Amino acid sequence: MAEEKNEAQAPRAVTYAPRIQVFEPHRASLPPIRGYMREFWRRKRFSLELARFADKAEYLDSNLGKVWLVLNPLLLAFVYFLLVTVLRGGSDKAHGFTTLAHILIGLFTFYFAQNVISDGAQSITQGGRLILNQAFPRTLLPLSSAIRSFWQYLPTIPVYIAVVILGKIFIPKADVHIFSWALLWIPYVTACLALTAFGMALIFATMNVYFRDTSKLLSYTTRIWLYGSPVLWLPEMLHGWHRVILYVNPLGPALAATSEIWIRGHAPTLAQLIGLLVWALIAMVFGGYFFISRERDFAVRI
Amino acid sequence: MLIDMPDDLAVRIEDLSITYKINVDTKKTLKNAVMRASKGEKVRMRTVEAVKHMNLDIPHGSVLGIVGANGAGKSTLMRSIAGILPPSEGRITVNGKISTLLALGVGFNPALSGRDNIILGGLASGLSKEEIANKTDEIAKFADLPDGFIDMPVRTYSSGMYGRVAFAVAVAMTPDILLLDEALSAGDAAFKEKSFLRMRELVKEARTIVIVSHALQTVKDLCTHAIWMHKGEILAKGEPGAITEKYLDFLNVGTLPSNDEDF
Repeated sequence: MAEEKNEAQAPRAVTYAPRIQVFEPHRASLPPIRGYMREFWRRKRFSLELARFADKAEYLDSNLGKVWLVLNPLLLAFVYFLLVTVLRGGSDKAHGFTTLAHILIGLFTFYFAQNVISDGAQSITQGGRLILNQAFPRTLLPLSSAIRSFWQYLPTIPVYIAVVILGKIFIPKADVHIFSWALLWIPYVTACLALTAFGMALIFATMNVYFRDTSKLLSYTTRIWLYGSPVLWLPEMLHGWHRVILYVNPLGPALAATSEIWIRGHAPTLAQLIGLLVWALIAMVFGGYFFISRERDFAVRI
Repeated sequence: MLIDMPDDLAVRIEDLSITYKINVDTKKTLKNAVMRASKGEKVRMRTVEAVKHMNLDIPHGSVLGIVGANGAGKSTLMRSIAGILPPSEGRITVNGKISTLLALGVGFNPALSGRDNIILGGLASGLSKEEIANKTDEIAKFADLPDGFIDMPVRTYSSGMYGRVAFAVAVAMTPDILLLDEALSAGDAAFKEKSFLRMRELVKEARTIVIVSHALQTVKDLCTHAIWMHKGEILAKGEPGAITEKYLDFLNVGTLPSNDEDF
């Protein structure tokens, strides 16, 4: 009956909605980028929901699980703080608190980037059935991991602010800013950091398809990466050409800028602002090309 | 781009070849690759020519059955029609919305409820959340899920329930072209009957179905056309009864047909 109705309304007897798709060999291993981006944008909601569902699945049985996301870096910050101050043998409370605040915001920020990278690295190998069954831009899977990492990062900021407020109550001399105009730079710094980490996640996700031990190796690499980043040490400890260390590290400018904004209440330096942008661009262009040019392989290698 | 595609065709495959490389090392690890490189060896790769210079037109409203031995390229062909695996050479033109059931248990996360999984699968296939949310009860009903199971974690499902939900999701997406790879082996005789009925309804609405199956009776009962694939090529195409018979002869005796064009 329904068919007859359709026939009466439309000149053609079919009820399908014509939507012509053409699949041809990729040029230079890349799919048509405009079409790819259009599909990526059209299905962005899938990334968001996938992140929401992954969160739901992980913490279905325990609400305390989410508390650990904040508690873990918080406790770790105290451990590192003790380690750093004991090694240095410092007894100045005010200075000690500044160090603690720096380590805390540094760790929260570093963990955000690390989660984007390490969860994103596994997103393709873990997305097996989806990849084998559906055609969609695969970048949506690491994007979903990045969204989830961002949600996990957000609650750490009020925790940091609470710790600083408490610290300032008990140690009035503590030289740590809480609110300043420099905070307006945070969206820029976070956006650049997120893009840098996402670009790197694309690289490691691709490598993980070819070499399944990449994600294991990554857990050691990120640990070393943390020690090489201005988290447990202050950026101003570096002088002269040593400051290059800050900029050859993709996360260096972001971490230095974060400390500058939160601890000192200063706007990031020009070098940090440029460093942030340059690393975001390099990571996205290189990571994007590396990932998208190998997407075809994913369906046969998983 | 000007697309030359007759209105009555759902899929046109022109001179399609699909090759890909696979790593034949047992250990696909960075460690292994570094060890090999240090000895001056390369990672062992094999090039698979899964589909070779294939031409095929699939008209709207037809049910195409694909038979063939393991490794014939059937699943690769299905993936390339779905856009999952782009061609190495040639072109595939698809006219209509595709729904796939190629790997059983589409995006199913065992910890989540059936409802959540259905929403996730639908979003991946490009539907909006609202569109899918409206269909979940219909899907649960079609899949014969016992009361309340739709909101239970998928890990509590039996394998039959799992397969039935996957099939119900694929058909509920109102596809113009439905691609099923060995999907009909799930479920019991009653569900099979029900799924056949649903597929016939789809075909009546001028929708197109492509089925890969080792169950030759299914191909005979359901399909309007059939092809026999062998080592990436179409060996025979035509009326399903005749094709399945030829294929059976091959399975029993091992002879390949001399004439491969029946229609």
